[in-house]
Amino acid sequence: MDLLRHLRYFRAVAEEGHVGRAAERLRIAQPSLSQRIQRLERELGITLFDRGPRGVALTPAGRLLLADTEEVLESTARLLGTASDLRTGRAGTLRAALPPDLGPAAVAALLTRFRAASPGTQLDVRELPVTAVARELTQHTVDVAIVRHPCPAVGLAFGAVLHQPVGVLLAADSPQANRAELALADLTGRQLVLFPRATAPALYDEMLTTLARHGCAPAALVDQHHGSDVARALVLTGTAVALAPRTAPPPGTVWRPLVGTPLTWRTSTAWPAGAGGPAVGLFADAAQQALTDPGGLLAEPPNRPLFPRPATEFPL
Amino acid sequence: MRSDTSNAHARARIAEAFAEAGVTGLLHARDLDTGTELAHGADTLVSTASVHKLCVLTTLFRQAAAGRIDLTRRLDIPAFGRTDGPTGLAAMLDAARLSLRDLAYLSIAVSDNTAADLLWDELGLDAVNGTMADLGLTRTVAVHKIRDMIAALRQDTGSGSPVDPAVVARLRVLDPAFTNRSTAREMTALLAAIWYDQACPGEHGAALRRLLGLQVWPHRLASGFPFDDVRVHGKTGTLPTLRHEVGVIEYPDGGRYAVAVFTRATATSITLPAADAVIGTAARLAVDALRAPVG
Repeated sequence: MDLLRHLRYFRAVAEEGHVGRAAERLRIAQPSLSQRIQRLERELGITLFDRGPRGVALTPAGRLLLADTEEVLESTARLLGTASDLRTGRAGTLRAALPPDLGPAAVAALLTRFRAASPGTQLDVRELPVTAVARELTQHTVDVAIVRHPCPAVGLAFGAVLHQPVGVLLAADSPQANRAELALADLTGRQLVLFPRATAPALYDEMLTTLARHGCAPAALVDQHHGSDVARALVLTGTAVALAPRTAPPPGTVWRPLVGTPLTWRTSTAWPAGAGGPAVGLFADAAQQALTDPGGLLAEPPNRPLFPRPATEFPL
Repeated sequence: MRSDTSNAHARARIAEAFAEAGVTGLLHARDLDTGTELAHGADTLVSTASVHKLCVLTTLFRQAAAGRIDLTRRLDIPAFGRTDGPTGLAAMLDAARLSLRDLAYLSIAVSDNTAADLLWDELGLDAVNGTMADLGLTRTVAVHKIRDMIAALRQDTGSGSPVDPAVVARLRVLDPAFTNRSTAREMTALLAAIWYDQACPGEHGAALRRLLGLQVWPHRLASGFPFDDVRVHGKTGTLPTLRHEVGVIEYPDGGRYAVAVFTRATATSITLPAADAVIGTAARLAVDALRAPVG
């Protein structure tokens, strides 16, 4: 016997006080409903209703069981609702990781958007460098992340890639601060604040290659995240300049774009391949929107041609 | 037998070199005379890419040795319908007529995709897998020829850019479960069989070894051995983020070492010299460890 269904019939008959009206409400035939109520009574070994000429009335035992029935049906509805929320990503726990330098406005917009899309989900957010986040995603200790590329790709799936131009953070009283934009070559001979290589080795190498290509030979590289106290002090005192995406500059500093946008950071959402559930999808959508606006990341990459060399071995 | 500790030191340095170059790397090296080995992830399956041409060539010369195929037979190669690629017949424009052994030369020397597929069409997919099974290399399996691998690559790339990380992440040809595959250990075992005359007896083994010494690429395995008196034989393999080479290094004192290096870069750039060079660096570290006097 499907107990839950029979309890629903029992509740309907009790509420209507009449088998015919209850059958109408349930859209089943009256004889069928009568049989089912009798079957429930047999199953429970209890007479639930006193049958009279003008309808049915709950027996005292039936009244007691109706209270329990309502409780069972309500908690069943709650269970099904929670399951549906979990299934569709509107509830649960989502462990997310973000890279440094997305900007507080973008991160705030992301959190707001995600909460609106999935009000029942507890979101655990951490800031992690790309090497750590790729490892944690493949070990499933993080469900979804925003990563900066190049990111180890084995076992991961990625959302669309967005592009974040990198500029220069420098002391407001330095002579170069008067210029609207700077060339990379202008930074030759300066101390340059750049994140530690170990946190994103492939991106670090890519940046050094680009600096050299554009005639920038820094006097020294300071292995610091540009938001750290040491890095801020070095920039503020004019000892160093920092390469960073557009940011609200701390007091005493200004941010200037680079001529021709030679440096861009590529960013996308990432999750373990095959483990992109609905909550991950909602997070990825919220991230995509928040990073574009107000984050200011661009959907289109700078259009650069690709020229394969013979040693490439495969056609492009 | 060499002690584990000296190998452990070499393995740590190899892992460091791979990390420094921004790649994950797998390596197996074996001394062809003593049988001493050095392994770093040597049993992990990888997508072999053009390295699999070595299996095709081994099969070709093995069948020639058995008298089943005449290597001087010439094939007509029309100008159209060729397997795509950046070198050799794949890049040439006009109809040609070449012997099977010269197609073999092009397959190795410049990794010619058209030449390799013409040979593969002659032999069949099963014959190449059969040779590997005969040699006991049960994890070395081809599921498609070069043209089908390239078709899958094109299909997955679609209108996207092959350097877009999101595109690279969905390429099935990088997944050994989908495409032609092997392990570093099985590739050095294949090279050992070629060098021991077990794969292709007599003059045919010598002919295959000669071809492996005529490969033109200097940027991978060969870059680790900048010595005029050291001979480097090899076959490369390349796909987006994958850079491989397997080969044999011969020293003037008679030392012979089979090395297989498979790498996968984090960066998606097509041109990444550091990732090419670390194949030579890692191979050299391994060969130096195998050559070090037993302490």
